[in-house]
Amino acid sequence: MTDTPLLSVENLSVRFEIKRGGWGKKSYLYAVDDVSFQVPKGQTLGIVGESGSGKTTAALAVARLVPAHQGVARLGEDDILSKEGEDLRRMRRRVQFIFQDPYSSLNPRKRVADIVREPLDSLSDKSEAEKKKIVDDLFEAVGLRPEQQRLFPHQFSGGQRQRIGIARALATQPELIICDEAVSALDVAVQAQILNLLRRLQAQFGLTYLFISHDLGVVQHMCDSIAVMYMGKIVEQADRLSLFNNPQHPYTRALLSAVPRVDHPGQPSRNRVLIPGDPPDPNNLPPGCRFASRCPIAKPDCSQREPLPQSIGTTHSAACHYVGTDALDAIGMAD
Amino acid sequence: MALLEVENLRIELSTRDGTAPVIDDLSFHLDAGETLSFVGESGCGKSMTALALMGLLPERIGRIASGAIRFDGEDLTKASPARLREIRGNDISMIFQEPMTSLNPVFTIGEQIAEVLRAHQGLSRQAAWDHAVELIDAVRIPNPKGRAGDYPFQMSGGQRQRAMIAMALACKPKILIADEPTTALDVTVQAQIFDLLRDLRAQTGTSIILITHDMGAVAEMAERMIVMYAGRKAELGPVAQIINHARHPYTQGLISCVPHLHDVLTEDRPELFEVPGIVPSLRDFGRDECLFASRCAHVTDQCRSARPPEKSFEGGQIADCWHAEAM
Repeated sequence: MTDTPLLSVENLSVRFEIKRGGWGKKSYLYAVDDVSFQVPKGQTLGIVGESGSGKTTAALAVARLVPAHQGVARLGEDDILSKEGEDLRRMRRRVQFIFQDPYSSLNPRKRVADIVREPLDSLSDKSEAEKKKIVDDLFEAVGLRPEQQRLFPHQFSGGQRQRIGIARALATQPELIICDEAVSALDVAVQAQILNLLRRLQAQFGLTYLFISHDLGVVQHMCDSIAVMYMGKIVEQADRLSLFNNPQHPYTRALLSAVPRVDHPGQPSRNRVLIPGDPPDPNNLPPGCRFASRCPIAKPDCSQREPLPQSIGTTHSAACHYVGTDALDAIGMAD
Repeated sequence: MALLEVENLRIELSTRDGTAPVIDDLSFHLDAGETLSFVGESGCGKSMTALALMGLLPERIGRIASGAIRFDGEDLTKASPARLREIRGNDISMIFQEPMTSLNPVFTIGEQIAEVLRAHQGLSRQAAWDHAVELIDAVRIPNPKGRAGDYPFQMSGGQRQRAMIAMALACKPKILIADEPTTALDVTVQAQIFDLLRDLRAQTGTSIILITHDMGAVAEMAERMIVMYAGRKAELGPVAQIINHARHPYTQGLISCVPHLHDVLTEDRPELFEVPGIVPSLRDFGRDECLFASRCAHVTDQCRSARPPEKSFEGGQIADCWHAEAM
């Protein structure tokens, strides 16, 4: 990773105002708290985490769909977060979004050709003939028939709708595509079709993906590097092989061990790392490590001092006080 | 004798295009203390089977056209609504996918669990409440006394699902039907719920019917599985045996189209196996042909001309495919 990454995010924070106190006091919920990551061109970064971990909010901030509170996000050399007006519109061409729900993310009153063309209408200055050509090509690229262009979204199945969503995201020839749980609403057989399509398109157009998912199997298959989020923080970040074969953060280990596997049918809870209870209340975060209350190896110290990311090798870092110590051996994965 | 025996069950739904068999000639049995899993894509009839067992088919739209559901020797298809009400909750109970929409938002979970006990076991208000608190403790919700007075919105998704489980297990049913119980939950919570179901099964000896689309969940939870496709059984048998050697191309597709986690990950990431196309529409259900033929890589003329017969293999594995021996 010597050349500049396509997307570089530094110390990004996103906060939401939650309530006013009686005397005009404001209080904030930090959905994303001091997060940094980079995505090299043509690669895929996966962000995994459970619901409420802030993975979608981080992506929305990068796409300028929610305002960031602090931090820097660069697309190539350009600062994403400071753009306004016409500059912002130009930037939007380069970052597009694929949404989770293929039912609610398409306008039911529009023909699908118009849905796919809409980003071109609002973000580009191409002529009608050029737009028509682009839409035709996109329908072919995502595996839809040309005569289907005249139909409405309700006439398509879930998988086909997601293909339309993908075509729409590709319309402005973006460099970065953010896939927010792009396959989690689909049946498994259709999910495989869409995942294969996304990888084919990536090879064909040299796309860079920010791939958000809670499904570790899918992330393992799609991503070159992975960031694991918990309560608004990135707790571990690594290339694909190190993260899955040598996870260093207790939360990552717990997450990986919780996924049911087909390797050994009939043998449950092999090396399962149990994390009891629920995540802490995001409105009232404990000091120190946010995972301490559920962590199997937490020591009293953990709820006092906040762990900083520690590097393990060049492409792997984890925010835990006990990275690389014997304490981690207590929670399995030592095959 | 098996606890539950389903014989040649056929369920018809009336649609605008006429009646369609959403369950077509389904036979299976469930032993006491066993976990049986139904797998398949949406629209294949997994949930319909569960609703039929509960006597909860949509009124006027769905009906049992033929076949028998024998529970402890009694045919549920012929039972009166009053008798079915007695069985539901008492002997067979169900937990649903979305715990938020299946709980009543205006009653506390303690009241909702106690209601089951009062209706089915005739307990007094106080006795039912005390028992409800014990049940909340049994499903490992911390501080059960205090939480019994909470409304569903005050609980997390995992806790709501635990409350559902407590309600379903209140009368110690012989069969618990779990319809995608963890699909709406995070993986770490899913693991907790699975552990809980496994422990409760060991303690109470309840049989579980687990409906899911996740082959990993099947591998972890169930002893036997039934793969459903378009209202018909595609394959049935012991889980380990089917995962190691599926005899139906649809089962093979379901297993290999999902990117699974493996013990040791390697550099290569081959394209996922694709099952092209989608599940046929209701209109095409019930045709005398293999309904999977249009998506199958091994299709021959025979598949398109007649419904495939059951073919039995050792270990109780049955596959409905003309070419099962060759797989």
